[in-house]
Amino acid sequence: MAVAAPARPVSRGRRVLYRARVLLREPTVLLGVVLCLALLYLVIAPLVSVFSDAGRVQYGDEARSGRHTGDWTGYYLWRVFRSPVSRLLFWEPLLHTLVVSAGVIVFALAVGGSMAWLVTRTNVPGRKFLAAALVVPYMLPSWTFALAWLTLFKNERSGGQVGYLQGAGIATPDWLAYGPFPIIVTLGLHYYPFVLLLFGNALRRIDAQLEDSARILGAGGRTVLRRITLPLMLPALSSAVLLVLGRVLGTFGTPYILGLPSDYNVLSTSLYHAIRDRSTGVASVLAGVIVLVGVLVVVVDTRLVREQRRFVTVGGKGAMDRRADLRRWRWPAFAVGMAVFLVSVAAPVLTLLLSTVTKTPGVFRADNFTLTFWIGEDIPGAVGFPHGVLRGSDLYEAAWNSLRIVGIAALVCGFVGLLIGYVVVRGDGGRVSGFLRQVSFLPYLVPGIAFAAACLSLFAVRRGPVPALYGTVTLLVLVLVVTHLPYSSRSGIAAMMQLGREPEEAAQVAGARWPVRMFRIIVPIQKGALVTGVVLPLVSGLKELSIVIMLTTSGTQLLTTLSIGLVDYGYTQLANAVVLVIALLSFTLTYLAQRLTRSSLASGIGG
Amino acid sequence: MSAITLSGVVKQYPGGHVAVRDLDLAIPDGSFTCLLGPSGCGKTTTLRMVAGLEQPTAGEIRVGDRVLDAVDRGVYVPPEKRGMGLVFQNYALWPHLTVLRNVEFGLRMRKVPAAARRERAMEALRKVRVAECADRYPSQLSGGQQQRVALARMLAVDPEVLLLDEPLSNLDARLRLEMRTELKRIHDETGATVVFVTHDQMEAMTMATHVAVMNEGELQQVAPPVEMYERPGNRFVAEFVGSPPMNVVAVAEPLGGLAGSLLRYVEKRAGLSAPGCVGVRPEALRLAAGPDAPPADAWSHEAAVETVLPAGSSWTVQLRLDDTEVFAVTHEDPGVAPGDTVRCWARPDRLHVFAADGTRMTAWDDATAPVGKAAR
Repeated sequence: MAVAAPARPVSRGRRVLYRARVLLREPTVLLGVVLCLALLYLVIAPLVSVFSDAGRVQYGDEARSGRHTGDWTGYYLWRVFRSPVSRLLFWEPLLHTLVVSAGVIVFALAVGGSMAWLVTRTNVPGRKFLAAALVVPYMLPSWTFALAWLTLFKNERSGGQVGYLQGAGIATPDWLAYGPFPIIVTLGLHYYPFVLLLFGNALRRIDAQLEDSARILGAGGRTVLRRITLPLMLPALSSAVLLVLGRVLGTFGTPYILGLPSDYNVLSTSLYHAIRDRSTGVASVLAGVIVLVGVLVVVVDTRLVREQRRFVTVGGKGAMDRRADLRRWRWPAFAVGMAVFLVSVAAPVLTLLLSTVTKTPGVFRADNFTLTFWIGEDIPGAVGFPHGVLRGSDLYEAAWNSLRIVGIAALVCGFVGLLIGYVVVRGDGGRVSGFLRQVSFLPYLVPGIAFAAACLSLFAVRRGPVPALYGTVTLLVLVLVVTHLPYSSRSGIAAMMQLGREPEEAAQVAGARWPVRMFRIIVPIQKGALVTGVVLPLVSGLKELSIVIMLTTSGTQLLTTLSIGLVDYGYTQLANAVVLVIALLSFTLTYLAQRLTRSSLASGIGG
Repeated sequence: MSAITLSGVVKQYPGGHVAVRDLDLAIPDGSFTCLLGPSGCGKTTTLRMVAGLEQPTAGEIRVGDRVLDAVDRGVYVPPEKRGMGLVFQNYALWPHLTVLRNVEFGLRMRKVPAAARRERAMEALRKVRVAECADRYPSQLSGGQQQRVALARMLAVDPEVLLLDEPLSNLDARLRLEMRTELKRIHDETGATVVFVTHDQMEAMTMATHVAVMNEGELQQVAPPVEMYERPGNRFVAEFVGSPPMNVVAVAEPLGGLAGSLLRYVEKRAGLSAPGCVGVRPEALRLAAGPDAPPADAWSHEAAVETVLPAGSSWTVQLRLDDTEVFAVTHEDPGVAPGDTVRCWARPDRLHVFAADGTRMTAWDDATAPVGKAAR
């Protein structure tokens, strides 16, 4: 029967020689090990570093903690969770985060859910247009809405020019201008397309036969909805809730812009302040908490999804293409859809645009219109940025930096993603494949701002042969690559899975060596996947703020950080102009990318 | 010259699963050898090891005098240096290259000059009758055409060893029949050694000069197809080869019913003790309703007809003998209906007797052979 090996004595050395010869001929393993090491260093090490910083005395804190730098200490934990300042540092931001998350989830579910039903299951006029138009908010930087909000509702509490309403003599109360209410509305407007896409996909995938079967067995329309359709939507619902929660947790721009004037802090802004104040230990604890919550959210999500996959039906032939007839409600429904579009896209963009061409907000007289903020040479009062955004070199330098840094990161992402896919599919499902698959996806679980803090903690100082990277382009590229790797590696793995290993093996048997197989067979076949793997990080990286805000210095200003800098100065019109430039760039690229890769935004969701 | 020899080949995957166990297999030069077995039996792994796409955990693989793998001696020749031809189950044509460029690829790797390359590629395409598709892309071809292009791609480099991994399983029935003859023709024309993996015994029986049956990573028997059918080496092969399958009745205590009577018959006839089971092929089982008496020394038994399935040229009759279901196949109308009681018997030389461990008891064949030959 089974004989594991021939009985004759075997030289161990020879066997090793055999394995070595095979390995040398098969670079997959070598490549896999290199990738594993790189990911260990770039993904795992920062997280370890941030957790270790949370428990060790940081430089400058010796006196307060009474120990030496580097000693283990519970001081930061105490400071964040128990000390007199813990309320300001942690508990209030936590509460605010929860309030904002809950609000955004309810808002996004209500708007996104109803819009999803409208565009997939009804005969509303202009369905196709609405389906495309209602996703646009997701292509704009999330804090576009926040700036538009300020432009409309800002009052005299914070410096700079007041908003339209205040300008027109209508006093806007603080609760309307700053704090939780505007944050929830503006983030909700940014994230509802997310819900719309998830729900829309789920609704489309439900097999009509499932509903028909219930009908035939005697269930009325309402019973079918309650007993069949809605339960089938549960997985999409839980996914939407948890993913929006995860996103809100890591978002920085909106709570910063709308919360700062009234000192309304959430976890991400509290973390930002801690880092700006150079209290590294506290920042590490906060980043650690955000990481843990983020991981928890996604773990719960995957659990639920796995649980519910049992009743995810395989669609296909019977997939739903049936629409409720709205009859006389068709046009009113269209009006509602259009209203959502106007509020979430047209109004903010127009507000921003108008604000950049008026001197005094909300006054629409001919002499009030001006192009100064775009092309003016000398703007009175704006000492820090005394010219129109299109003048001088600031915008162009920032744009060049953005394109250069994000571009390099996206290219690296695309290739590394494909390589990971290659190794995962070629490596016989062994440990290396599993590790690569898991670890390249890990940054997805970690809210961006916390990951940036983690990288800062590892790379800010010189460690061994690696010099201090703070303020360098290298650090920005590294962090952008790692945080966007989940999308690229997922697309790379999916593409390689679909391709399988046969095409390469066929080339191998035909006599092709590894480089030939890689560049004549794999890369040409996968050029579509490669483009997707480059374009997704590019589009999402250009409007990225949370990740880069803590890593840029005046030498590496990006478009997004330039805009936030102008907000800090209180130069509303200039900040708005820059954000419009970002929005235009990001929208154009997304649109081109969709045309180019023929993929829908849904596949890049979460970017 | 290009006989393939596997000796002591073991393939164990990192997870511990053993796909191939201590395989010794000699594939004669110029033969058309089918590796046959149920899915997961290790046949594809074996083929891939010959191609060099997988590496054995132990053992040696040679083609002619050339050692391709020798784990104990540290010898390994990578697939790209083995110069074999391989056709995959899903063809694995490169979608970004035209048919002609697909076929030319191997020649390009062998640095054949452009003109000669084109000439030889076109010749290969003509050989499999798809020359008119040369400038199309694989996605524009039908399944049958893709299959032919995959063959052409393999043939263009003129390899001495052709490896085919279930190449016909994605084709419809008619195309499959057509491709079988095509493959036979190519084998005859090239004189190459062909190794063909399949789980379809019909394919194996009709095309192969040699069939190697595998099960659970172990080689069961290597023999020419007819011999494989007529003298299966063990119980697994007996039951796996043939459709409907051989009726095999295990002998169990207490002896009774069909098994008991078969066993007593075998013991009386050949003096064999302790056979494990006895088998008879459906077409060897004869039926008679009424007074037609079975021959004097043949085993015979009462049976009840359960169903009759006419198939035009043959009839499959499902019978119940005591508590055992058996099949009989006749080539004339058996003239029975469900519910009838018939007598069935088989000639002694058409019975297959296996020992308790499943191996064939050749003593039975020896005991019955002369009689069998005479009766035939």
